Formats: sequence, C-alpha cells, structure tokens
Amino acid sequence: MKTIKRATILWIFMAGLSAIPLLGEQPTSPAKPPASAIEVEMIQPGEISLPAEFQVALYENLVQELQKNGGFSQVYRDGDRNAAGASGLVILHTTVTNFKQGSELKRDVTTVGGATSITLHCKFTDKDGKAVLERDITGKVRLIGDNLKATDDFAKKAATVAQETLASGSTSADSSKSGYKNVI
Amino acid sequence: MKFKRFILWSLLLSLGTFVSVSPAQQPAATTPASIEAVQVIGLACVKQNTKGNLKVESGSLTFASSKNTCQVPAASIQDVVTAADSQRVIGGTVGTISRLAPYGGGTALSLLRSKVDIITIQYRDPNGGLHGAIFTMPVGEAESIKEALLAQGAHTRIPSQAKLTSDSPLQPEAMEQTN
Repeated sequence: MKTIKRATILWIFMAGLSAIPLLGEQPTSPAKPPASAIEVEMIQPGEISLPAEFQVALYENLVQELQKNGGFSQVYRDGDRNAAGASGLVILHTTVTNFKQGSELKRDVTTVGGATSITLHCKFTDKDGKAVLERDITGKVRLIGDNLKATDDFAKKAATVAQETLASGSTSADSSKSGYKNVI
Repeated sequence: MKFKRFILWSLLLSLGTFVSVSPAQQPAATTPASIEAVQVIGLACVKQNTKGNLKVESGSLTFASSKNTCQVPAASIQDVVTAADSQRVIGGTVGTISRLAPYGGGTALSLLRSKVDIITIQYRDPNGGLHGAIFTMPVGEAESIKEALLAQGAHTRIPSQAKLTSDSPLQPEAMEQTN
C-alpha cells in the first residue's frame, strides 16, 4: 500500500516537473506567410474634416517609415502599376477616425495644453482584399514640434506594427515594441 | 538724301524689332517669378524642410534648392490645395533650446510667430504611383502658384479663389450687401 502511495506521489511530482516548461510557452497562432511587399493607399479622411497638408504628411511619412523600418523589400505607392506583379503583397488601407488639431503656440506657452492627436484605423489586406491585420494607431505631439509632427509619430508606430507582425524580416510574432493589440 | 533713307530704314527696323519683341514679353509678365519657399515633405530629390525657390514655368512646378532642382509636370498634378498657418520665427534647434531660457524668455520668443501660406499638391509619377508634397511660403503667394499651375494643366478639387469670385453669380449681390 505504501509503495503504491509513494509511486503515485512520485508520478504526480514527475508529471508536474515535466509540465513546467510547457507553462512558459505561449499558445502559438497559425503561422502566416510573411509579406515581402506592401502597397500604401492614400489616407482616407473618412467623416473627419482633415486638412490636406495632414493627409499628405501622413501618407508621405508612412511611405518613408515603411521604406526605412518596415522590413519590406518593396514599398509601393498608391496606384503604382508595378505592385500588380509583386508576390507576397499586402495592401495598407488607412482611415482617419479621430483628429484633434492642437496649437504649437499653446504647447510652447502652457507646456500642458494644445496637444495634437490623430487616430487612424489601419487595415492590412492581401491582394484579394482579405483582412490580415487591423489596428487603431494614434500619433501625437504633446510638447515640442509643430502640429505635423503627429503624422511622423503615427508613421513610426505604424511601421513598427507592420515590421513586427507582417514583414518577412520580422523577428517576433508578438507586438512587444509597439504595444498594440490585434483587432482581428 | 542718303542720310534720310538711312534714318527711315533704321526707324523701320527698330519698329519691326519692337513689334516682334512685344508679344514675347506678354507671357513673361503673366508667369509668376520664383518665390522663396520651404519644401516641408514629399519631393524625393531634396530633404525635408529644405529652403529654396518655387516657380511654375514650361508646364512644370520647379523647386530649386542650393543643392538640387526638382520638377513636377503640372499635367501630373491631380490636386492643389492652399491653406494658411503660422510658424515660429525662431524655429529649429535654436527655437527648442530657447525654451530653457530663464525668466520665461523662451516662452516670450515662441510668441514671435509669422504667418505662412501652405500649398499641398498630389501628383502621379510615370508608374502611376501617388506622391504628395507640402510647401510653405510667405503670405499671399500660394494662390498665385495655384493659379499658374491650373493654367498649365494641373487639376484641383477646390477651385482657386480668383475663379470662384469670377464664376460666382452671387458676387454682385454680395457686394451690394457689403456696401
């Protein structure tokens, strides 16, 4: 009887020990094929009244940041005919969902007020239009810089998200750097 | 007698030269001269926030900085929009460091602001790729650049101020009301 008890305790102990490494592992999501090219569509203002300079600055900063830090071998602009033949292409659609134009003067004088913030819904799709990833990303300028600096902040965050989750050069599947959670 | 003929011929010749030159001078008068501008973002051949000269000539928008010259064909421009804003008179690194000045000196400096015009364009490259560019310039210059671009084949979703006032049937009534 004693032997059976001891054997049972030992077995439970061993089973517990062998389970420890498994506890550290995250549930793995089905592996998506990494994207090697991205096409950036023009920013859509949606129902928000967005000044033209913000729309263009968002688009240009986004293209530049994806070229520098996106991890894609090719970054295509909206309407580029070369994108049609690209393999592993994802298309980035962005719509402005919130925009608050602050004041540089107010920021300079008060140092607490006058922040500019802009939130965009970013939808990455494949060639067939199937959504691969959706995120809401916000760009802000709180203290130093002109209002357009918020567009630069957004572009950097968006490029980080794309690099971490979609690009073929991405190192990890999680979004530890950007801190954004997947919508889908 | 010969002297008279010589004078007559020289008068005729000078008149002919004047007649041939006069029509050539007319387009030059309508084309705006180059204006000082800052390319905020968008042109591939120059860095962001580069100072230079902007002009519209020979069917192109030309931005010339001290290092490079960029051209955008007016016909490839699918949107031109103008706006107004203000910017710090003392910007850049000096403007940022000035915030540390004692007794609120930096804050006082930030109050010194100048008004600027902004012109934003969207254009397509030969592959069909969409580009955007933003320029800032002294107040009152953006509208003339926009009109020159539209005259040379550029498109816009917002008609220029001059065209709006000339096309508007309400203009006389509006003028009467103000009077």
